[in-house]
Amino acid sequence: MASFKQKLVYFLSAIALLMFPWFIQNDYWLRVAIMIGLYIILASSLNLINGYTGQFNIGHAGFYCIGAYTAAILATRYHFSFWLLLPLSGIVAALFSILIGLATLRLKGIYFSMTTLGFSEIIRLTVLNWASLTRGPMGIPGIPLPELFGFHLASNRHFYYIVLALTGIMLFLSKRVISSRIGRAWIAIREDEDAARAMGVETFRYKLYNLIFGTFWAGVAGCFYAFFTSFISADSFTLDEGFSILAMVLVGGQGNLIGPVIGAASLTILPEIFRNMAQLRLVIFGAAILIMIYLRPQGLAGSSILSQKYHYPKIQRHSPPKHQGQQEVSP
Amino acid sequence: MFWLQQIFNGITQGSIYALMAIGYSIILGIIGLVTFVHGEVIMIGAFAGFFMVTFLKANFFLAVLAGFAASWLLGIIIERVCYRPFRSGPREIALIATIGLSILLRSLSQVTFGTEQKLMPDLLNSHFIPLGQIRITNIQLLIIFTVFILALLLHQFFYKTKTGIALRAVSMNKQAAALLGVHVNRTILLGNALGCALGGVSGVLLGIYYNSVHPVMGASVAMKAFTATVFGGIGSIPGAALGGILLGIFENLGVAIFSSGYRDIISFSILILILLIRPQGILGRKELER
Repeated sequence: MASFKQKLVYFLSAIALLMFPWFIQNDYWLRVAIMIGLYIILASSLNLINGYTGQFNIGHAGFYCIGAYTAAILATRYHFSFWLLLPLSGIVAALFSILIGLATLRLKGIYFSMTTLGFSEIIRLTVLNWASLTRGPMGIPGIPLPELFGFHLASNRHFYYIVLALTGIMLFLSKRVISSRIGRAWIAIREDEDAARAMGVETFRYKLYNLIFGTFWAGVAGCFYAFFTSFISADSFTLDEGFSILAMVLVGGQGNLIGPVIGAASLTILPEIFRNMAQLRLVIFGAAILIMIYLRPQGLAGSSILSQKYHYPKIQRHSPPKHQGQQEVSP
Repeated sequence: MFWLQQIFNGITQGSIYALMAIGYSIILGIIGLVTFVHGEVIMIGAFAGFFMVTFLKANFFLAVLAGFAASWLLGIIIERVCYRPFRSGPREIALIATIGLSILLRSLSQVTFGTEQKLMPDLLNSHFIPLGQIRITNIQLLIIFTVFILALLLHQFFYKTKTGIALRAVSMNKQAAALLGVHVNRTILLGNALGCALGGVSGVLLGIYYNSVHPVMGASVAMKAFTATVFGGIGSIPGAALGGILLGIFENLGVAIFSSGYRDIISFSILILILLIRPQGILGRKELER
């Protein structure tokens, strides 16, 4: 139970976030705030997978892409409404994740990571090549504005409230799921998969649930992105995009809910401050990951990176190898 | 005849994949971890070859040598930055370090080399050699020949020299190797540099075969190196070579049936199929952890 002090903090920050658009008159910074919200959803959903079951998903952008294209195609051709498409894009992204999960989640180690990496690239290539469905490299323009009771939501202020609500719902649901039976099973898998199985956790099934839940939110974020920018193309969903989301999770700290929020906010604001070095954005991200690994491997907000049981040794320059026995290949 | 031609093209391409996969397997064995920076190593090797050819007007062998040397150096840097400091920590940290370095290298080379494709000059004045009813270019022959020679040299190195035996010992069991007087740190450094250098050579060959290099080529080729390694069976170097060649053949047959835009999609489908049907690969030695 949250103490009174914590409740006060939550209440005050909620008020501050709700009042934010009235203090910021500048449309540019409002847009940055919306992007932060979008990346918080993406980074938190990736954190659910990477930080809570210890899988290592690298190609989150692929699921994001599927969500965005589902929304864009259904909205422009069949005039689905935004509110219906939000869950629908999430479900489509989750269906693809089941395919990936069935092939790789039974195997330990790196297979899952490499497959998601390939998957993200393959989705982008399919989008580029399947021109009859996705218009290929031209992208899909003219995605209609969302409507609410016959009222067009057009301004950035409206989108700010939509993304705020989505982020709030997402974080609230994540918190509920994580403290439920399912969430405890996830954490048990992260800490020690064999022990979890010995205690009766069906690891494969719970890992699959985890993947479905995480990728669902990536799809929802994709849908929001499609309606927000009203134009999408494959260029928005490159591997670099997936790596940026990963960098946000790693820099913020995985395995807790607040870490990716901090990571997403700081790594979205950072390139905006250094606007004149826009092409160095990913250089900064890569360097940020390396610096974090050296200085604070658990991330800015993290108390642990993957597991409580590890100690973080000081960097040793010439340490003898400490891994014993047969080296297995999986990480 | 069309299919025979496709199979031959597949063997050429597959021998490049085989070289990548061999390098990947060496690193996998010696470090005990997959690396995410291998694609960038291949890309840097290809660019080293490219600059050697365009600015110094070097010939084929100097270009290959440049790729080898550049990636060797990069391999030493990778070992110092990503693996050595974290060898006693949890393994995920080294993995994350390779991801960070991979992002850094790729985006840095996009900034310095430019994002567009670079055309590799034709340095062997390529021409067709008619052979029965299929047509073979001299470049294809040279690529297959180079890979074959390298594979022979590697086999000699691993089985006939002291350093090669030390490398195999360290990838089997680091502690036992250390007890028997193998300098483990130096051997790991050497193994990683060697694996990376082979990646660099394959990058140069890839650049010559496709006539182009570009800074984001790394991601898809790293994926193929991984697919070939899994195909042949993780932990087995002959398996990696076989997997690479088979991957090249299947990929080219797939491209002949569908279209060349689907090349990467075909090899990815092959990876998924292998993982579903036979996850230990063709020559995989031990049962995977399930």
